[in-house]
Amino acid sequence: MADHLQTIRDAVIGGKHGEIKALVQKALEAGVDPGTIINDALIAAMDVVGADFGTGRIFVPEMLVSAVTMKSGLEVVKPRLAGGESRFRGTVVMATVKGDLHDIGKNLVSMMLEGAGFKVMDLGVDLSAEKLVDQVKSIRPDILGLSALLTTTMPQMQRVIGALKDQGLRDRVKVLVGGAPVDRNFAEKIGADGYGANAAEAVALARRFAAAQP
Amino acid sequence: MKLNPRNLVMSALLGGRPGPRPAVGNPTSIACHGLMEKAGVFFPEAHLNAQAMAELALAGHAEIGFDTVMPEYSVVQEAAALGAQVDWGDRDQMPDVKNFPNADFSDIVIPADFLEKPSCRVVLDALSILRRQVGGRVAIIGKVMGPWTMSYHMAGTQNFLLAVGMGERDKVTKMLRQLVPVTIAFINAQFAAGADVVVLADHATRNLVGPYHYKEYLLPIHQEITAQVGGPIILHVCGNCSDRLELFAESGVDAYHFEWQVDAKEAVRRIGSRVSLAGNINNPQTLLQGTPEDVYRQARYAIEAGVHLIGPECAIPLSTPIENLKAIAEAVRSGF
Repeated sequence: MADHLQTIRDAVIGGKHGEIKALVQKALEAGVDPGTIINDALIAAMDVVGADFGTGRIFVPEMLVSAVTMKSGLEVVKPRLAGGESRFRGTVVMATVKGDLHDIGKNLVSMMLEGAGFKVMDLGVDLSAEKLVDQVKSIRPDILGLSALLTTTMPQMQRVIGALKDQGLRDRVKVLVGGAPVDRNFAEKIGADGYGANAAEAVALARRFAAAQP
Repeated sequence: MKLNPRNLVMSALLGGRPGPRPAVGNPTSIACHGLMEKAGVFFPEAHLNAQAMAELALAGHAEIGFDTVMPEYSVVQEAAALGAQVDWGDRDQMPDVKNFPNADFSDIVIPADFLEKPSCRVVLDALSILRRQVGGRVAIIGKVMGPWTMSYHMAGTQNFLLAVGMGERDKVTKMLRQLVPVTIAFINAQFAAGADVVVLADHATRNLVGPYHYKEYLLPIHQEITAQVGGPIILHVCGNCSDRLELFAESGVDAYHFEWQVDAKEAVRRIGSRVSLAGNINNPQTLLQGTPEDVYRQARYAIEAGVHLIGPECAIPLSTPIENLKAIAEAVRSGF
């Protein structure tokens, strides 16, 4: 079993997107537990990829290929999971704020959260505070992830948090922020619950929020 | 050397004699709400009308006291001329590309009249207006996107970077190569229209790609571009690029416009004898959220470190207080 898991981990880390499906299939046929494949191979590999990204050993192109590889692997293993959605750690709504069309960071975080067992609803880019509040009302996510790449759009995050407060929804959802110009100070200043400097940190935070839930 | 703002800037960028004070300027946009109000010109008009574009640029010199005028506020003028659909935004929002015409990495069709397309013509006309109004006295800065940034706009950033990650070298190189003539032609047209110096903005930033990507794909292209253009070039790559400073210094540019995340002293020590350094004042924390005193202190640090042209690190947030920009000008007027 350990060999199968190691091979899958190496394939995700190395971005071997063409081989992953066959490798996961092989592991399943050998009787490896689907949950173990997800946690100990696919997610564990993305943790390594995230750490390598954090230290500047790899960059977005390699991380994207690893994330695509992990996703392909997940597609094979997910139908084999018992209990379906009940295994989700929680629901996350992801969006890039109004005026901002950049979505790589958000997409990477979404893919990694999905890999980490969250149900992710990616609303896309250019989302106004009003639209986001409406979505939070109807989807009732555990976490709202907001992304901005531009210094010109980061103030929109504050607007979203203000709108959640106005609608009495602020205590119902954890707000996680990230993006190139955003930092911890800014996150604290606007009253966000957390800040992730990269996709791996965002996933770690989401896990922490999920673990703290009753 | 005649001591006027233009000469201070050109001397600083070309490694010449220092004047009585450092030069202050903006290789990228300093358009903010306060400046728009002073100029009486607002977005999106300032992206689309040459006179409005020039007037907003002039306000940077007249109202804030910068030694430069830089009339291109967006990063999508070329993409629009190449057929990408652009949302020109509004008073509170910068323009951005809405679709990616070459997401399938199909051949990019460069119109024969590329320089006459409205989004390029407007920049050239604005530069000529500035030349007539302040030529020889204030440094006129043009700005052109490099092939890497244009590829983000034509193929989509994620799509383009995924191809890089997948090792699809031929596909990536073909797209970059098709865009090189666009960059060269627009730079040379901006010099002909009246620019003293042109910014080559090519976002091979650490937030996205590694130094090895820059070295493999872009350094040879930048060397080719700098060899074929008719005037001084400032390279703009934002983000923390400490890991690729020496590569930038090999590109043949005259100056590098850099972020606060790269320590000014370290940048000057490592490449300051080979290229001039410009920028270094932090946008999101200091210029947007800090006080004029914070800005002044940071500008003084950059001056003492030996940064040649002091200014914001990148296009500033639109809600930046104008007093914070003035604090940069004030810091340089305290001399070296």
